[in-house]
Parts: sequence; C-alpha cells; structure tokens
Amino acid sequence: MTIIHVENIRKSFGKNKAVDDVSFDVEKGRIFGLLGPNGAGKTTTIRMINNILGPDQGSITINGQIASPLTQKMIGYMPEERGLYKKMKVGEQLLYLTQLKGMKTKAAKEAIHYWLDRFDASDWTKKEVGELSKGMSQKIQFIATIAHDPDIYIFDEPFSGLDPINSDMLKDIIIELKNNGKTILFSTHRMEQVEQMCDDICLFNKGKAVLQGKLREVKASFGKNTINLEFDGDGSFLDKLEGVRLNNRSTNFAEIRVLNGQSMQDILKLAMEHAEIHKFERIEPSLNEIFISTVGEDNLKAQQLEEAQ
Amino acid sequence: MDFSKIFLVLKREYLTRAKSKSFILSTALTPIVLIAFFGFLAWIMTSDSESEKTVGIYDQTGVLVENLISLDSLRYSDVSYLPLDTVKAMVLRQDLDSYLLLEERHIETNENAELIYKESGGLAFNGSVRSDVREVIQEERLTRANVSDEVKQLFARRPGLDSRKLTEEGEAEDDKAGFMSGVGFVLGLLIFIGLFGYGAVLMRSVIEEKTNRIVEVITSSLKPIELLIGKVAGVCLLGFTQFTVWAVMYIGFSMAAVPVAGVLMQDQIAQATEGQDLEQVAAEAGFDPSSLEVLSIDPMIFVYFFLFFVLGFFMYASIFAAVGSAVDSEQDTQQFMPILMIPLIGAYVLNTRIMVEPDSTLAVVASMFPLTSPINMITRIATTDVPVWQIGASLALLVASFFGVMWVSAKIYRVGILMYGKKASFGDFAKWIKQS
Repeated sequence: MTIIHVENIRKSFGKNKAVDDVSFDVEKGRIFGLLGPNGAGKTTTIRMINNILGPDQGSITINGQIASPLTQKMIGYMPEERGLYKKMKVGEQLLYLTQLKGMKTKAAKEAIHYWLDRFDASDWTKKEVGELSKGMSQKIQFIATIAHDPDIYIFDEPFSGLDPINSDMLKDIIIELKNNGKTILFSTHRMEQVEQMCDDICLFNKGKAVLQGKLREVKASFGKNTINLEFDGDGSFLDKLEGVRLNNRSTNFAEIRVLNGQSMQDILKLAMEHAEIHKFERIEPSLNEIFISTVGEDNLKAQQLEEAQ
Repeated sequence: MDFSKIFLVLKREYLTRAKSKSFILSTALTPIVLIAFFGFLAWIMTSDSESEKTVGIYDQTGVLVENLISLDSLRYSDVSYLPLDTVKAMVLRQDLDSYLLLEERHIETNENAELIYKESGGLAFNGSVRSDVREVIQEERLTRANVSDEVKQLFARRPGLDSRKLTEEGEAEDDKAGFMSGVGFVLGLLIFIGLFGYGAVLMRSVIEEKTNRIVEVITSSLKPIELLIGKVAGVCLLGFTQFTVWAVMYIGFSMAAVPVAGVLMQDQIAQATEGQDLEQVAAEAGFDPSSLEVLSIDPMIFVYFFLFFVLGFFMYASIFAAVGSAVDSEQDTQQFMPILMIPLIGAYVLNTRIMVEPDSTLAVVASMFPLTSPINMITRIATTDVPVWQIGASLALLVASFFGVMWVSAKIYRVGILMYGKKASFGDFAKWIKQS
C-alpha cells in the first residue's frame, strides 16, 4: 500500500530548478532510501513532503491526503541540520516539540519518559541542552523526532555527524520501527547503509529522479557485470586493463566493473599471468558502482571538488 | 490557523524569557536605576555648590555691607577698613576668594559693581552674588527715594502665574499641563523603548531559532505564520508584563511618595525662608504643595498606552522578525536597521516638539501616521484633549497597516528562516515576497 505518493512535483528557486518533475511512491512498512549527490534536490523534496515548502507544480499525498498541517502530524522529521533550543531544559523542550505535533500533554509526557528511559537519559530532563555533549543531544534529537509515534519517519542524512555508537543505535531504531510496521524514508549519500537497510531506493541527480525501484531489482537489472577478484602477488597488471572501472581496490583485492562488453575471460587470463588467483567471482554491481555509473563520474568529481573547496 | 499551536509557541516564548534571570533583574532594577538617576539629578540641581566661597566687601558707601552680611554672614565679610592693596593681596594669597568694590556710583547710576576673584568663581556663584548685590542696592535706592515700607514690601513681592483649565462643565480644573506633558513624553519614550527593546528581543529570538537550526523541526509541525504570530504575541506579553509591573510600582510609589514628598518640601521651604510667609514664598516659586496631587494620572491614559503599544509592537515586531529571518547573525542586521530606525527615531524626535505643541498640525499628522502614531499619539493624549475621532482614526490606520506589514513580513519570514549562508539584500526581500 502506498503511503507517500509523489507525483510530478517541481520546485524552483529563482532560475534554479531544485526539483524537476519527480514522481515516486513509498510503500507502507518499508525503508525507502533517497540517494544522490549534494544539491540533487533530496532535501527540497523532503521539505515538500513535510509541507515545509509547497511544490510549484504536482502533488504530494500522505496516506491519501494532500500534504497539509494535518499530514504533518503523521510524520516524524529529523532534518540534516539538527538543532534544539540550547537554553531550554531537555524535558520542557521534548514536551514542547511533541505537543506541537499535536500530542496531548499526558500522552506526550509518557512517551517522552519511555524513550528517555530507553536511551538511559532520564537524568537529563532538568538539564539545558547547551550543557549536553554532542552525542547526548543527538539522542534528544531522535526522541524529539519519534516521541509522538507517527506512522512515517523521515530522516535527512541521518548518519552524518553521528558518532559510531549513536549511528548503530539509530540503525537499530530504524529496523525496530520497520518491524513495528512503520514507514521510513531517509536520504543519504553513504551507499553501504543503503545496501544494508533499504528495501526501495530512488536516485536523484540534478533535480530529477534518475533511477528507482526495489533495491534487489535495481541491482539485478544491472546484471552480473562486476568481478570480485582476490589475488596474491603484484597487482600492477590491473592498471593495464582497458574498458573497466576499478572500485574498492587494495593490495590483494579489487572490484572490477566491466564496461563495453569487455571479455571477462580475457581479464581472468591476464590476472593469472601476473598473480595467484584466490577468487574470481561474477557479481551484481555494488550500489556505489550503480550510483557512479548512473550519475556519471564527471558529475561526481565536480561535486567532490566543490565540497572540498 | 491553528490557535492551539500558536498558543504553545506563545507560551514557550513567554515562559522561557519571563523565567530568565536577566528579565527578572531588568524588571526589578530599571525603576530603581531610574529613581536613582532622577534623584541624582535633583541632588545636583539643588545642592549648594557656591556656599563655600568667601567675598570681602570693600564698601565705600558704608550702607550696603551690613545688609549683605545679614543676607549671608558666612560668605560676606567687611574689609572696608583695610587698604585696598591689602585686600588684593589677600585674594591673591587665597585668604579671600574674591572681593567686591562698592561705591556711591553703583547706587546712584546704573553702573555695575565688579566682583574680582583669583580663580573662576563659577556661574552659579556669580549669579548668586549678583542677585544679592541687586537686592541690597535696590533696597538702598528705595530707601533714598523715601518710599514707605508698604511699597517696599509690594516691590519685594513678585507676582506668580497659576494656570487652570476650563472644561465642558464650566469648572476650572487645576491645570497639570506641565506635569502631563512630561508624563506624555515619558509614555512616548516608554513606547519607543518598548518597540525597540522588545523588537530586538524578538529579532534575536528569530535569529537564534535559525542559527540553532531548530526552525526546520518547528516548521515541520506548524505554519511559519503561526510561529511568527505566536512569537510576536509571546514577546508582546513579556513587554506587557514588564510595563504592568512598572505601572504598579509607580502607582504604589507615588501613593507613598506624595505625602512624604509634600512634607519634605514644606520642611525645606520653611527652612529656606526661616519663618517668612510660606504661602507667599511658594507662590513666588510657582509651587503649591497641594499640587503634588497631580502626580495621579488618569487611568484611561494607561488603557491607551497599552492599546498603542500592543498595536505598534505587532506592526514593528513583524518587521524585526522579517529582518531576523533574513540574516544568519545579529551583525548582519545592520544593513536593514534603517527601515526600523528612521521612523522610530523620527517619532522620538517629533515627540520633543509634540510635547510642547500638542495641537499643532505637525502633531496631528504625526499622531495619525501609523509608523509614528504609537509613540506620538500617546504623548498627545496625555498632554492635551485629543478629539475622539482622531484617536479612532489613528487606531484604524494602525490596525490596517499592521495587517499589511504583517502580511509582507510573513512572506519574507517564511522564505528567510530556511535560507542559510546567503547574505540577503533588499532585492532578495522583493524576490521572496513574490515567491511565496
């Protein structure tokens, strides 16, 4: 059953087309990943689903209702740029944010109590957020997102800036929420998390949704065009290969994406001439590889340069 | 519009601020600081700074020196028996601060006597000696003209002027024009300070939400306009609270102070005149002890004060909020401040005129124009009888422009709060208004 239905939405800021005719559906009870480089339009799309921005064209329905203040209550949203009132006490702050989502005071207090307990954070209620460590305030931010028990959870780049402990914790929470029948949508540019967690994906590039579907199907559609090679010896022969792209290369391991119908047998032969082969396996491409081949290497490099500057 | 959410925002905005130490301190301390300041001013103005200096009288007429010494025996001493050079030497040695040479010609002609000192005597000292000399010379002149004592007394008695106001009922009331124009100016000043001070509080609050990045979480729960209205109302209520506390303090203070001040002043006057006719002296000074009753202010003025403060605040605060939403830090607000400073400071400057000429055309226009009316109208209401239609029209204009300004500000606000890292300009404002 479709819980978030996005249809032909467009959004421009001045001349910049941030989101350009995007459609996708999020199924209830699944984890949906929005992927794409920075500036691809993920955050703008997420803001429109949250009814923070309105689309210039197209429509968004949540649970069959057009995005509105009413649908905002069904969603728990954690933005990429996280923030809380620094000078407000943890307890008061959580109560305020949960009440804003339409929860009654009593129920809100119970829910906050439950989650603070689960995160071993009950002692913090009377503390001001400014006194908390970064990891602690991240936990408070999760609670603020989920305490009103919505059906849909939206996390924008949830793992960026998290310490490993909170990162694992968030992963567990997401899986737990899914097992409870909740729907999760998150955006990220970290592929390994998507591979581990997502049921469905939608890949954004330059404001357009360029690739979408069930993760398994998307990967299968690319075919088994990648070689997983483990070897012993001099790896320099890899540089002689033509018509391939090397991902994840190390001293005794390489993931080789075969392009333009280059013969896999030729690669094997060349490898055997130069090194001792422990493993030669034909596999589906990694999501990272799919990401690169779809978005285009040049585009990505330009992105990374921009970020580095 | 979801009023329960607006109320939640209002409650948070109000409570977090009202509970803060800085608010409690500023509420309690401001009146104390003000009272201390005015007390200090009053002390400076009344203190006898000139009494220390001494004047040697070198009197060649033989009739003036006694009268001068009887006016102030500490200041004046008779040095007529010494050679003039010795007197000069004494002044140079600082045994005397100054000397005064009095001759017949000073009585008979209009030639001025001269006070000669080594170090500057100070204006207050000079003025005081001048009036003493004037008094004794005048008395001597009257004596020489064989004027009777009665006429002398008539002469000494300067007539005063009381003003009374004629009302519809035909009864002349005690006119409190002087006091009320002061009250009017202070009320206008309070609104000026309130609009600026609380407007800045609101602006900082908007910037804080933006830089804390909490605003995106908030706007995923409610509409920006609801957030804006809640915040403006919360800060307005805060100002309301502070003004109410001050008003209560003022009323309590003046109720306690009027009798006390009355007694004190009567004491002072009695002392100063040493048994002279009290009423006469008071009348000369243009001061009547019973007039302290005018310190009581018509409660309707407070009603108008709150009305104009609230409406003016909602209008200005929404501009402050729009400016706050467009920047990433308080420093960046500089370029936008003129839109707020020019009308507010303009109204303040106008107020110094309106206070003394509350019925001039300038005053009427300024008290109608919505950007200045919150400050200027309250001053007029306190100072003069403003026709009801003018108050009504002023309020109507203010309400209308409040909606207009709020509408535009809200558009800037809803785009601005989600814009990061870009320094907005007036051009951006126009774009954002069109965009949303």
